[in-house]
Amino acid sequence: MDYSVITDHWRFLASGVVVTLALSLASGVSSIAAGFVVALGRMHGPRWLRAMIVLYIDSMRAIPVLVVLVWTFFALPIVAGITMAPFFAALIGLTVHLAAYAAEIFRAGIESVRPGQTRAALALGMSRAEILRRIVLPQAVVRMLPAFGSFLSVTIKDTAIASVIAVPEFMRQSETVQGQTFQPIEVYTFAMLVYFLLLFPVTRGVDLVYRRVAHLGRS
Amino acid sequence: MNGLTLDWSVVWQHREQLVAATGTTIMLTIATMAIAVPCGMIVAALRLYAWAPVRAAATAYVELFRNVPLILVVFWAFYVLPIWTGLGLSPLATGLAALSLNVTAYNAETFRAGLNSIRRGQVEAAMALGMSRTQALRRVIIPQALRRVLPVLASTWVSLFKDTSLVSVIAVTELAYVAMQVRAQTFRVLEMLTAMAAIYWLLGYPQAKLADWIQRRYAVSE
Amino acid sequence: MSAAREAKARAKAGGPKIIRYRGVIKRFGSFTALNGVELDVHAGEVVCLIGPSGSGKSTLLRCTNGLETIDGGDIEFEGALLPKDDRALRSVRTRMGMVFQSFELFPHLTAQQNVAEGPRTVQKVGQAEANRRASAMLAKVGLADKAPNFPSALSGGQQQRVAIARALAMEPDVMLFDEPTSALDPETIGEVLNVMKALAEEGMTMVVVTHEMTFARRVGDWVAVFDAGRIVEQGPPAQIFEAPATERTRDFLSHLGWSG
Repeated sequence: MDYSVITDHWRFLASGVVVTLALSLASGVSSIAAGFVVALGRMHGPRWLRAMIVLYIDSMRAIPVLVVLVWTFFALPIVAGITMAPFFAALIGLTVHLAAYAAEIFRAGIESVRPGQTRAALALGMSRAEILRRIVLPQAVVRMLPAFGSFLSVTIKDTAIASVIAVPEFMRQSETVQGQTFQPIEVYTFAMLVYFLLLFPVTRGVDLVYRRVAHLGRS
Repeated sequence: MNGLTLDWSVVWQHREQLVAATGTTIMLTIATMAIAVPCGMIVAALRLYAWAPVRAAATAYVELFRNVPLILVVFWAFYVLPIWTGLGLSPLATGLAALSLNVTAYNAETFRAGLNSIRRGQVEAAMALGMSRTQALRRVIIPQALRRVLPVLASTWVSLFKDTSLVSVIAVTELAYVAMQVRAQTFRVLEMLTAMAAIYWLLGYPQAKLADWIQRRYAVSE
Repeated sequence: MSAAREAKARAKAGGPKIIRYRGVIKRFGSFTALNGVELDVHAGEVVCLIGPSGSGKSTLLRCTNGLETIDGGDIEFEGALLPKDDRALRSVRTRMGMVFQSFELFPHLTAQQNVAEGPRTVQKVGQAEANRRASAMLAKVGLADKAPNFPSALSGGQQQRVAIARALAMEPDVMLFDEPTSALDPETIGEVLNVMKALAEEGMTMVVVTHEMTFARRVGDWVAVFDAGRIVEQGPPAQIFEAPATERTRDFLSHLGWSG
């Protein structure tokens, strides 16, 4: 096995890693923000909104990421009459798919804070918004850490699927190198290593942080 | 919409292909779980009870396949497995192998967590009655662990159903691949892609709801 | 303590020693939980272990049936040292019944199945005999009608009584109780203590770790006061509760608000 193919193309592959990180970060941030709004809408919105949100969330549990990405890149431009760069399509598709997951994490986290906490805060005269902000969310954030660790891991793994719509992230760049050099074993084994080195510390890191702060979330 | 002409009849015209492809998707899901559940149990047992080098190997396996994207595993399996095993595997078999490797790792973690979540007091009560370790496992721990594990397995199943779409990249004739082939042949992009999404939705939605029901029914409250 | 009861207790103290603790030492890392415990348990005696939390009472109990291994000294059961071999230890455990503070009923089995489990799986007496014993023991603790119920449908006191039945179904020579009523609501403590009292009156050898001083006073034949891993005083309940010889015992009892 000849791993020089890696060193020969390292710049090309490295550019892929940069795009992977950029896409992960961007879609992670936007889906968490969107997920938070969706979660609030589900918990405090009017009935029709809640029903629509539940439908959206459950639909994302049924439809694969691949399908959402492909539809966003190929079909959405037809419907909306626009053109879309692959990266942007991937960002939108990933956000739509992941926001549902994030919304569920938020909902579970907030609901897991004991109702006695809210009652105690109400008894002190706090408003609902204050309670959410100062009492419930801080505890919920700690409780949600492990779930968001998984979320981050899933986000990074999902960016690899964006290779299917020609986003030049690391998976795609690896495919290209492999196609040119006819050394798939070296290239894909290296890719496995890179993704592992990227993902393993993420989940472990979240674990470590959680263990330190877990006591802050227990009531 | 600005004067685009849609022809939804393409979906109907290719219905036989789509139905066959859907069958493949379902079969892949079932076959993968049929492999990954027993294998997951074995790996979990190895992680918990085997001697140190085996435990380390099992842990390494689980951590590896939980920390690489499945789509990469599919590609990697496609090129590497024929060389390692010396067999000429069909895309379907390769896809099944990749999915199984992935889901086994997740199941192993599920089973391990399930076994560990049984309170120590239960083990002690069993031992106080004079049970051996094996008896305690069989009669007290595993029956309880199974209950905890079922909702997670249901959730894994729902994810797996979606993940089968990823083997389309190695030309396995499941739903995603066939739908996109028809799109390429007929140029009916919006219709075919929407139909693909709709079929996944029709099949996946009830499965997700079933998983929810299992979660409610078997939720363990301490 | 009535004269008749005192006489009975003294007679028991002359009988065979079921359990002997000689210089028992147990360490957890750098913490010494048991620091040289000396105690004898005679046939038919009810020995109560009392003392502050963390003084080693529960640890001693758990060392008795090998759930914890000791680091020094000896524990003798029916004339022989506690075995180290797993098989032999399991066999010894079938002759000791243990009741836990947290009941630890098996939640996936009904009360009947819980009680029958030991005889069936460990003693291999066959399904019919196991069921017969289970029914008999459940009736003995007053829960015959709850046989088909799962633990989740039973109150704490009922669960603990089923746990006692489960231990009794093994036909043990001694019963070990680890704070059996500490996790119970006040209303249900009585029903469990009554079962234990009846058991004592039938002549069962019992070692009971408890905070229920009235029980120790009225039902116990011998009381050992623990503090920091040692027994600071032991004797008949009359002595311990009415005329304690040591300062530590007096302190402990006064903290409990014990006024005799």
